[in-house]
Amino acid sequence: MNHDAKPVSIVMIEDDEGHARLIEKNIRRAGVDNEIIPFANGTEALAYLFGTDGSGKASCGRQLLILLDLNLPDMTGVDILEKLKSNPHTRRSPVVVLTTTDDAREIQRCYDLGANVYITKPVNYESFANAIRQLGLFFAVVKIPETE
Amino acid sequence: MPVSRIAFVRSTVLFLLLGLAALLAIVGAMFWLVGQTQTYSDTVTNARQQRAALIDLRGVAQDAETGQRGYLLTGNEDYLKPYLDAEAKLPAQLERVRQLWAGEAQAQGPLERLSTILTGKMSELRRTIDLDHAGRHDEAIAVVKTGLGRNLMDDARDLFDQLIGVAELRVSETVERQRLNISYLRWITLASALAILLFMGGSVWTVLLYTRQLIRAEAEVTALNAGLEERVRERTADLARANEEIQRFAYIVTHDLRAPLVNIMGFTSELETSLTAIKAYIDATDAAGEEPVARQARIAAKEDLPEAIGFIRSSTVKMDGLINAILKLSREGRRTLKPERIELEPLLRSAAANLHHQAMEAGGEIAIEVSAPPLVSDRLALEHIFGNLLDNAVKYHQPGRPMKVRVRASGQGGRRIAVEVQDNGRGIAAQDQERVFDLFRRSGAQDQRGEGIGLAHVRVILRNLGGEITLKSELGQGTTFTVSLPRDLRGFTGAI
Repeated sequence: MNHDAKPVSIVMIEDDEGHARLIEKNIRRAGVDNEIIPFANGTEALAYLFGTDGSGKASCGRQLLILLDLNLPDMTGVDILEKLKSNPHTRRSPVVVLTTTDDAREIQRCYDLGANVYITKPVNYESFANAIRQLGLFFAVVKIPETE
Repeated sequence: MPVSRIAFVRSTVLFLLLGLAALLAIVGAMFWLVGQTQTYSDTVTNARQQRAALIDLRGVAQDAETGQRGYLLTGNEDYLKPYLDAEAKLPAQLERVRQLWAGEAQAQGPLERLSTILTGKMSELRRTIDLDHAGRHDEAIAVVKTGLGRNLMDDARDLFDQLIGVAELRVSETVERQRLNISYLRWITLASALAILLFMGGSVWTVLLYTRQLIRAEAEVTALNAGLEERVRERTADLARANEEIQRFAYIVTHDLRAPLVNIMGFTSELETSLTAIKAYIDATDAAGEEPVARQARIAAKEDLPEAIGFIRSSTVKMDGLINAILKLSREGRRTLKPERIELEPLLRSAAANLHHQAMEAGGEIAIEVSAPPLVSDRLALEHIFGNLLDNAVKYHQPGRPMKVRVRASGQGGRRIAVEVQDNGRGIAAQDQERVFDLFRRSGAQDQRGEGIGLAHVRVILRNLGGEITLKSELGQGTTFTVSLPRDLRGFTGAI
């Protein structure tokens, strides 16, 4: 991976291809040209983030920003969030939870587990596109620590 | 042996009656025996008197003889005194004996003879004494020596002995009979006491048997009751679980429906954006004299595509509304209830006050009567329920008729409270009366804004509170909704 040219990679864990495409489109519209690595299920995403041995050493030296959907076919995003925040190699990577669920308990739980941002996908597309573009602007300015 | 209630009453009464009969028999026997004893006692007394009188009479006769002999021996008048006393007493004593023996037919003969003998003896004594008084002492002794007096006295003694024997026999016979009597009495008392004990014992035994049966039956009922309560608890838990499952299902379904909807809306927007570019290109080209293919593309871009996109948009907006409504319902079902003490009157008044403006517009009033005690429930839920019902009442008033809404809250037994919301509005047709509680279903002319979720929502909330809602309505006349609530939400185990 070319860390020097594009230091920050956006890991997008989103099972709905349509959503993934819309999110990517709108992030690009915000002028963010960082690499976006999409995963359509939790298993593949975990394999990428923690390596085949599950230790998390695979993420050493990466600068990652994780976009996480909670409703995944093979596991819930909460499980992934918990793993990310309890692994010494990945716990400093910002996690943005982007999901349809706006249940107060779910939101609370995600922040308790260490989520950095929680965004509910608005059904209204204007709001949705707007939210993603603002998120993209946020990505453009935010400083991401390198994982150890 | 099971004892039926009738058999129990019958046998108890029978035993008591038998016991009573035994008691009566004892009392009767006692009376009879006491009467007998009295008779015997009288007989004995009588016989003793008879005997005593005879002995006295004999004594008197002997005294007379003794006095005569003493006088004749000594010639001293002093010795004559016993004779004189006896002579004076004898008739009376004889009369007394006659009286005492008057009732005895078989004694009359000996008594008559005794009387004659005694009369003879007395006249013999008198003759000798008279002779002696006249100085004819030897003649008097000669009379004595004839032995006539002694023979008379011997005969009299025999008769005395005979009669005294009769009296003594009677005494001893009667005493013997009395002893027998007493022993009868003892036996009868003993037998009756045994009978009473037996009947009482039987009665007590039946009572014990019956009581034991009652206790066993009661224990069975208690056990059944406990089982029933346990079953009710299980069923309630099952229902609560099923309810929770349905709500979770609704929640998941609505969430999962939302995801594709986001795509539909998103890509429709993308489509629209693309269409704008196409439209700009077509507008830039000259419409005159273009090929049929190009004309069709122009029509598609300028009319057909915008129309199709418009329908997709409006449908997705509508669908979003429906999904939101379901989501709201399922969220209400999942909301944690906060039981607190609530006075209904201020709550209802504030719900009515929120509709004051609309009520004035409808030219009507909302009257509130509360006779129900305060209840423990969720304030937010109650506010929502009554707000919605009052809103409906005002919204669906019959135009051209002054609106009248009455809210009445009253206790319903000890544990529930009923609140009636009665209006004189346009009413709900009979076939719609159950439908109005269904989601997205509305009744009558669709001339008011609404999505058809209000009453469905009210019913869901009420179920969570352990309450229920029913309605009575006549089309064109008005509707009465009756809300029934538990007085204490905490006692309702179905609450989630």
